[in-house]
Amino acid sequence: MTKKISLAMFVLTLLLSLGGNIVAETEKTGIVAEKSSEEKVLSVEQIVNKTNRVAYYQGSDGSARVKMTITDSQNRQRNRELTILRWDQPDPKLSKEEQSKDDSYCGGQKIYAFFNRPADVYKTVFMVWKHLDKDDDRWMYLPALDLVKRISATDKRTSFVGSHFFYEDISGRSTNDDVHELVKTTKDYYVLKNTPKDPKLVEFAYFEMWIHRKSFVVVKTDYYDKQNKKYRTYEALEVQQIQDKPTVTKAKMTDLRTNGNTILEYSNVKYDIGISESIFTERYLRKPARKYLK
Amino acid sequence: MNIKQHITDFSIRQYKTVTVVLVAITIAVMLLAAVPSIWPKAFTAFNPIIVDTDPENMLPADEPVRIFHNQMKKELSLYDMVVVGIVNDKHPDGVFNPETLANIYELTEFSKTLHWTEDGQEVGVVEVDLIAPSTVDNIEQGGLGTVKFEWLMPQPPETKEEALAIRQKAQRIPFLNGTLVSEDGKAICIYLPLTHKHLSYRVYSELQKKIATFSGDEEYHITGLPVAEDTFGVEMFIQMAISAPTAMVVIFVLMLLFFRKLVVIISPMIVAMVSVILTMGVLIIAGFPVHIMSSMIPIFIMPIAVLDSIHIISEFFELYQQTKDRRKTMLKVMDELFVPMLYTSLTSAAGFASLALTPIPPVQVFGLFVAMGIMIAWVLTIIFIPAYIMFVKPQTLEKFGAVHIPNQQEHSTAMGRILHSIGVGTYRRAKPILAVTAIVIIVAVYGMSQININDNPVKWFNKSHPIRVADKVLNEHFGGTYMAYLALTAEDKEFVSEDFIKDFNKQANARAKKLEADFPQAATVFGELQKITVESAKTSQSRKEAFEKISHSVADKFNQATDDIIDAWNEASLFVDQQKQRNQIFKDPAVLKYQAKLQQALLETQIVGKSNSLADIVSTVHRELFEGKDEQYRIPDSSSAVAQCMITYQSSHRAGDLWHFVTPDYRKSSIWAQLTSGDNKDMTKVVQAIDDYIAKNPPPVPLKYEWFGLNYINIVWQQKMVSGMLQAFIGSFLVVFLMMTILFRSALWGLLSMIPLTITIGIIYGVVGLVGKDYDMPVAVLSSMALGLAVDFSIHFLVRSRQMYSSFGTWEKTAPAIFAEPARAITRNVIVIAVGFLPLLLAPLTPYNTVGTLLASILLVSGAATLLILPSLIRVLEKRLFAAKKVLGTGCNCVTCSISSVTLVALIAITLHQYAAVGWDKLTWVSVVAIPVMAISCGLLSRREKCKILNEKEVTKND
Repeated sequence: MTKKISLAMFVLTLLLSLGGNIVAETEKTGIVAEKSSEEKVLSVEQIVNKTNRVAYYQGSDGSARVKMTITDSQNRQRNRELTILRWDQPDPKLSKEEQSKDDSYCGGQKIYAFFNRPADVYKTVFMVWKHLDKDDDRWMYLPALDLVKRISATDKRTSFVGSHFFYEDISGRSTNDDVHELVKTTKDYYVLKNTPKDPKLVEFAYFEMWIHRKSFVVVKTDYYDKQNKKYRTYEALEVQQIQDKPTVTKAKMTDLRTNGNTILEYSNVKYDIGISESIFTERYLRKPARKYLK
Repeated sequence: MNIKQHITDFSIRQYKTVTVVLVAITIAVMLLAAVPSIWPKAFTAFNPIIVDTDPENMLPADEPVRIFHNQMKKELSLYDMVVVGIVNDKHPDGVFNPETLANIYELTEFSKTLHWTEDGQEVGVVEVDLIAPSTVDNIEQGGLGTVKFEWLMPQPPETKEEALAIRQKAQRIPFLNGTLVSEDGKAICIYLPLTHKHLSYRVYSELQKKIATFSGDEEYHITGLPVAEDTFGVEMFIQMAISAPTAMVVIFVLMLLFFRKLVVIISPMIVAMVSVILTMGVLIIAGFPVHIMSSMIPIFIMPIAVLDSIHIISEFFELYQQTKDRRKTMLKVMDELFVPMLYTSLTSAAGFASLALTPIPPVQVFGLFVAMGIMIAWVLTIIFIPAYIMFVKPQTLEKFGAVHIPNQQEHSTAMGRILHSIGVGTYRRAKPILAVTAIVIIVAVYGMSQININDNPVKWFNKSHPIRVADKVLNEHFGGTYMAYLALTAEDKEFVSEDFIKDFNKQANARAKKLEADFPQAATVFGELQKITVESAKTSQSRKEAFEKISHSVADKFNQATDDIIDAWNEASLFVDQQKQRNQIFKDPAVLKYQAKLQQALLETQIVGKSNSLADIVSTVHRELFEGKDEQYRIPDSSSAVAQCMITYQSSHRAGDLWHFVTPDYRKSSIWAQLTSGDNKDMTKVVQAIDDYIAKNPPPVPLKYEWFGLNYINIVWQQKMVSGMLQAFIGSFLVVFLMMTILFRSALWGLLSMIPLTITIGIIYGVVGLVGKDYDMPVAVLSSMALGLAVDFSIHFLVRSRQMYSSFGTWEKTAPAIFAEPARAITRNVIVIAVGFLPLLLAPLTPYNTVGTLLASILLVSGAATLLILPSLIRVLEKRLFAAKKVLGTGCNCVTCSISSVTLVALIAITLHQYAAVGWDKLTWVSVVAIPVMAISCGLLSRREKCKILNEKEVTKND
């Protein structure tokens, strides 16, 4: 067993974060922990890497059922239910154990999102191969048209199936795309300001993340536009320890311009279940691997 | 002394008190109106001035069409839009060159910043729904088996090729072609949705400033109905600030010409000003908004207010030199003029007040306040003018009237001679005149039948106005910039639990059978599902509630299910969700295909240049999913396939765009129709075309269809206005007729007095029809006012005729006398009011021009009709008219009484119909009963003792 995975989690892994439960918990027990962590001062790069790992790279694979509730400004709701599978590309140079300890690790990933509901999109699949060195590959399988289609987009800031989350919020934004700056450190949080290196590819001017200092879960992210106005907010509403990994089980993205929001609720979250890489192929879009989807 | 002498006497004696009180009241009203407007926060108890420039308010806020409009706008997140058109005719590639596109990009970025905070709320351009090359998505083929989403123009292009590629891409997308880019490639339109349309002038001005900084070959045009309406509102106030004082100056100059005594003519000006101040003050204090209509109040009150004063001064002018006593002269003047002035004021006021019969609130406010202003002017005239004269020192009046005698001579040589020959002419050629009149009436009736009922807020500007130019240019290049929306709504069936259960279980059995082979447990599970359904449906009030309960129970079952039946429960849960989705009719291919056919029907009108719908979106996505082949531009065959096209579409940058076309429950959808014309008549044709189409081709499922959008609201209020104005006109006609009958105590004389104005209105509307001028709001409003104004001349003419006839004995002798002083007074009045309204022609806004032109024409025509037709008629009807002289008191002449009664009944019926919404059928029956009853009462009344005595008295008096 060369690769023992330390952290896991995927879950449509948005920017992970700390919700009410965990915040309260750490505040109670936190004083001692505070002091010990206070001792070593982390560099900005270290904070960025740890956060990225907690958000997107916990465990070597994972699965979760996701309930998506999209609410618009008039309080009209739509629901979607999907099952999401994730598989991380192992780094050939590292053992699993080494990989788990290396916070800077961030390799390719494969993601498979299977739609259960609404009934008319049942069996629709959205698949991503996330690459670090080139544009991601994305596929869509539309069962009613019996069609497998590659989707290409010049940027990753498009809506994820009509929700207020962007595709990039789900797959993870590369840490290399932004310049990171630690604006302040509060008792519980690091506040990181991220400014894009290429502002033409994104709609925000910068975004600020509130990172829990102990768990490195992102509790809140605020996006600002060119007029320095906050227009979009991500919040972690609930965090659970699953297989010893801090896992966001409820998250909300609000569009402050339209006053709509999307809430994602995760259930059946599992890490390190040994998903085979082979299911993340075009062949399995039409014939999904049932055993992982239950 | 009678009451009129008492009043005059009082104001002459107490002239200082009268003046002080008047000044005090005026100042008080001014303060009450102005102070809360200037410091609204300090004086919350009072109403500040409210300006309302929104033509939507032509309909009451609770009008069904407005409620529906607002509801659909909300449900589909639609906004009123400012349209910026960029046209480049000079560059060979049109707007698709790097420089122009860079400017468009910059303008788009700039417009994103156009939002402000107002009362703690964010208002301005709605950035997420902005439609511009850099804010919309392109969907196209991105290599083998790949569909590609990208911003159409993420950055301004650098080369000619890149620029042309944008054109090529945009024209492939039906939603963009003819909407964002013109088919000829010469123009691009960007659409700026606004949180509220009252911001459009502000946005318009900001854009103008930005555009001024651009250098390039392209032209910029800003239009859209909200801009037109809001800009009109702003310019309207500028116009009124110019027109009203100009009218004042013109009237002042005219009076100076007539009377040549500054000190005397100041008094009518004071009366006019104070009437305007009091009327507008009360309007503001009462909390009524100053609307397009009410802004015209001052210009209507002013000329009418000076009329009575002119009469008084004219008379005073004539008589002063006889006595050289201000008090005695004034008492005499007032004694003579009191009744005619009261009647002319009352009839004018009645004409305007009848506008209250129209179901259009701003018109009602306008009518009532002008009526009020006229009555205020009358009160001021009889109270203040005598008081004012007392302020004038006798020395100042020394030469007053002395200059007048040679002047008078001059008049008789110029105007007087013409009038005299007219008078003689009408006596000699009465029958030919009447014959010509009859021909004119026939032509007028034909003209009226040609009247084209139409309005268009953009045409409120004159042809050279930038908005009008923009409108023309952009509608040449694009599918149209006038938006109307056709909403299709699924009809909700009443929820009956038995039917629901029956249907559900039937489907469930069928499904269970199908599943049996693969899922042995299916029969058991679906059996259980049916039980759940029965329980859930029985305790539910709605379909939605029933499904919520069923889904909930099934989810529980699924979560507790053991491995052997979990798959079957999964199938059951899927089945429930499928059943639930069955009412999402806008995923039904048949419905979407029907929508596409409706769009085709819209295009066939030739008025709708372009339309967008859910069907277009689905077809476009379908085409791109199948290699972009043109034959794949179609609605897929199943509702699941439709749903999957939609989910693909929602993976774009603008996922929310779908919800502009359909509500998230997929029960309501709307087609955006782009009209190339904002004319109400064109919108009416489109509505008619769709009515016809739907009648011939019923939808595949029960669907309600209803229009909304500003263009549609305009035709609704137009229809209300046309019928409302007709009722208002009939109402005021009856009121005035009744008043005339009472004034002359004879139905025949009453009828006679109505003839000039009836012919005038006939001629004016006949000409409107013949020259093809659209019958729009100002034209409609004028009919009632024309009536109130034009009857004045008849009153003066007939009252004087009767008086003079009694001393001359024959019409032959009376006519020349009538065509001396009385005819001159009438002519003078015609000139003063007609010219007084002419400053409206200076306005660059056509409704004001129309009002000015028409009023001047009405006055001239009615003046002519009075002076030509009335004497001719009197000549022909001489015996009849002057024989019935004995009658005194309306109740004493059986015929007059009966006609008056019928008039009264009709009047009450119209009012009831308008206000109490009583149907015509009921009213007819009531009238059938009421008229004979009243006729009998009339018969009895005229046989009373009192009448005999009165009649005898009258005879004696005349002897």
